[in-house]
Amino acid sequence: MKLIKSIVRPNKVDEVKAALEKLQISGMTVTEVRGHGKQKGHTAIYRGQEYQVSLLPKMEVEVVVPDSIVEDAIKAIIEAARTGEIGDGRVFVLPVHESYKIRTGEREVS
Amino acid sequence: MSDLQPPPVDARSVPRETRTTRLEVARRELEAATARGEGGRQALKQYSQRMDAVIQQLFAEAGTASQLVGVFALGGYGRRQLCLHSDIDLLVLFADEITPLDERFLHGFLNPLWDLGLTVGHHVREVGEGSRLADDNPEFLLALTDARAVVGDATLLDQFVDGTEVARMAARTLQALKTLIAERHARFNDTLYQLEPDVKDAPGGLRDLFGAQTIAKLTDPVLLAQGGSSSRVLDDAEEFLFRVRSVLHLESKRHHNVLTHELQERVADRLGYAGPSVRQPVERLMGDYFRHARAIDRTVRWALRAAPLPIGENLVRASDGIRFVDVREASGRPETWLALFQAAIDGGCPVSDDAMACVEQNAGRFSAADFFPTRAHCQGLLHFLKPKSGLYARLSEMHDAGLLGQMLPEFKGISFLVVRDFYHKYTVDEHTLLTIRNLERLTEPSPGRERFSRLLGELQAPELLTLSLLYHDTGKGRGQSHEVESRRLAAKMLDRLALDSDARALVEFLVSEHLKMSLVAFRRDTEDPEVVRQFAGLVGVEERLKLLCLMTFADVGAVSPETLTPWKEELLWRLYVDTYNHLTLSYGDEVIDAKQAAIAELVEQRPADLSQDQIAAFLQGLPRRYLQLFPGEAVYRHVRLANDLAPGSVQAWFERKESAWELTVLTRDQPFLFSNISGVLSSYGMDILRGFAFTKPDGLVVDMFHFTDEERFLELNPGGDAQILRVLEDVICGRRDVAVKLKGREEGALRRKLPAFAPVIHCDNDASKRYTIVEIITENALGLLYRMSRVMSESGCDVDLVLIATEGRRAIDVFHLTQGGAKLSPQQQLELTENLQRVLEGRA
Repeated sequence: MKLIKSIVRPNKVDEVKAALEKLQISGMTVTEVRGHGKQKGHTAIYRGQEYQVSLLPKMEVEVVVPDSIVEDAIKAIIEAARTGEIGDGRVFVLPVHESYKIRTGEREVS
Repeated sequence: MSDLQPPPVDARSVPRETRTTRLEVARRELEAATARGEGGRQALKQYSQRMDAVIQQLFAEAGTASQLVGVFALGGYGRRQLCLHSDIDLLVLFADEITPLDERFLHGFLNPLWDLGLTVGHHVREVGEGSRLADDNPEFLLALTDARAVVGDATLLDQFVDGTEVARMAARTLQALKTLIAERHARFNDTLYQLEPDVKDAPGGLRDLFGAQTIAKLTDPVLLAQGGSSSRVLDDAEEFLFRVRSVLHLESKRHHNVLTHELQERVADRLGYAGPSVRQPVERLMGDYFRHARAIDRTVRWALRAAPLPIGENLVRASDGIRFVDVREASGRPETWLALFQAAIDGGCPVSDDAMACVEQNAGRFSAADFFPTRAHCQGLLHFLKPKSGLYARLSEMHDAGLLGQMLPEFKGISFLVVRDFYHKYTVDEHTLLTIRNLERLTEPSPGRERFSRLLGELQAPELLTLSLLYHDTGKGRGQSHEVESRRLAAKMLDRLALDSDARALVEFLVSEHLKMSLVAFRRDTEDPEVVRQFAGLVGVEERLKLLCLMTFADVGAVSPETLTPWKEELLWRLYVDTYNHLTLSYGDEVIDAKQAAIAELVEQRPADLSQDQIAAFLQGLPRRYLQLFPGEAVYRHVRLANDLAPGSVQAWFERKESAWELTVLTRDQPFLFSNISGVLSSYGMDILRGFAFTKPDGLVVDMFHFTDEERFLELNPGGDAQILRVLEDVICGRRDVAVKLKGREEGALRRKLPAFAPVIHCDNDASKRYTIVEIITENALGLLYRMSRVMSESGCDVDLVLIATEGRRAIDVFHLTQGGAKLSPQQQLELTENLQRVLEGRA
């Protein structure tokens, strides 16, 4: 199993979600996050005064998927979230050794 | 004694001697009753009625006045408690201005009263003076509380009082009464236990009893039933003191109210106190006196302590909140109810339970029109809806009492309405009211949300935002696209309230577009300039952007406590800033094109005297923003004037806009034009708050200045507007130098104060393809625009477009400049910035 953690533009969450659902991936966690990438934000101006926007609003989408569909899932996320502009986000893939269903205590091993 | 009516009056049949006899008979009647120890309430009433008859006779004999006139009894005589040697206090009220004929009538009426040996205190007034009554002598106001018609036109008193601010008059009267009581008590060392008491003035005397009754009359008719001595005890005390006082007048043969040791024996005798020794009747008399005086003293102290404060027509502020003075009257006057809730907001207190009960029991009897019968009542609603602490609580009370739905029937449809979705946690009505609470909270210290609080403080009409929020979801539960239905329902309300066209358009816009900003902020890529451009096109101008931003803030925040996260607030704010910058910095690049839908509409609806080509030619090259700012009729006027505009001439006019003014100017561009126009306005002390200047590529200039007339020049000088326009034309045409005209004022303004904060000057060569944009944020001051734009012109810049805004003490002005038809070079920007800095810091 792998944990796929994607940082995407807020307006791309619905498209990412739809793309993952097509792969029968329904369980996911979506979180509002703020951060910056290489550009470290940008300078904005309001009423003549410049201010630094260092942390940009993004959405974090987390899914845990079987190893067999990891590649498809990553591809689907990238295609759905890409605009081609700076600030499209990142996808991180982490190993998951085991997981438990809290209600039943059932264990799943990678 | 029987309560006899006075004998009928017939001026022709009653000789003057009879008048004297009539008064003598009345006096003897009272003296006889007093001698029997019966000079109490009934005897005084009968003597007062006899006196009425004398007054009526004198009135009839006084001749003819030129107009309606009424005579009213005041003070103790007004209360029908006239003692044997009391003064006769009268108010003679004329319907109109007093003429010589009326003066003759007055002499004819008053002189015989003095001839009869009566001590007369008289006030002569005209009904028109009632408008200043609230500022009148407090003792006269106090006397008026017992006014009673004796003869003549009885309606004049109502007309006299109707013209004044009743609440202020009541408050002043009450304050005067409290002061008089305190001063009087101080004269007696604040104790009622006097060995030789003044039965009228001493603590616990008759004046205290009348004082307590007057306090109740002015504030709460049932006040005396809620505390102090019982009414039966007070009745006994009053009767006792009247009987004593009557004997004092009889025995001393004059207006004498002190129960001296000598008179105590005689009073005891007259009132039938008996005993084996000389001292015993007196001791019993004085024992009774102190018992009665103590009862009155308890009551007046209670009244002083518990009296509610008059705060509006039929409204008082009591310990349990805002109350109606007369609940029965209030129950039939729904147009006064909003004032109840307004007073609660203003006073930071609740509406009392009894007032709420009155509203709840009667709200269903009235329709929407009954609550807002006049334009003033509609304006009262708008004033009420200004976001402030307590608004949510009061609106909730109004809703719970069924009042909100009667005032605004469209709101009834969402009462207790449940719409099931994944987000909303409350019924639609409560969600709506919570949006208003979110606005209200921005008026209080809002840590972390100061930027939204500032936006709210900058709004020109925040009450329209509240009104829009009240209606934004009224279309829910009626099918899809609730915002369309909400707009339809809002239009019905707007018809009833007859708001002006600008306000109406704004509310309809906000209600129908209330979902748009959250959609764009949370679901669209706001980093895409095209998304921002389209959204800017929707809102059009900064004011609507601010309103929609705050509406979204309030709406999303009322979905559930978790919905408006700091993350969402950031997204919303970023969209606001990007759109604001687009509207103020990039609008110059977006000029009107012939295919724009708004043009087609203008052409289609054009008046007969204008051709399609004329309209198109006029609009060609103007920023699209122009069409957002002017309605069709104004555009047609501009087209006509532009067509007739001769070289070197000026077309300009003023329009009154509620408490402010607008000056519109059409002319051809020339150096220093903008600074000259703003300089002329400043030279008359006008404070320019908002405005804009558009310059077309062909040189036609359309400028509009929204300003306040701080010195009321236009109001106080008939023809003042024409004078300013003449000066303006002279200045623009070079016949007069505005700098000379402005010099004195400008120096005074600059001397008066230094800026409270450092000015910000920001040059931008990227936001627009055609212009260098100079944004200036500084402290507002007289002649500021003139000084800034003069520096620009002196620096060789063409001022092509200007946006003027004032928010509190801050002036926020955006200039679109070119030099020789091109953007300014970095060096030119630097020089201009330095020049501006010097001027703004008062160094040049």
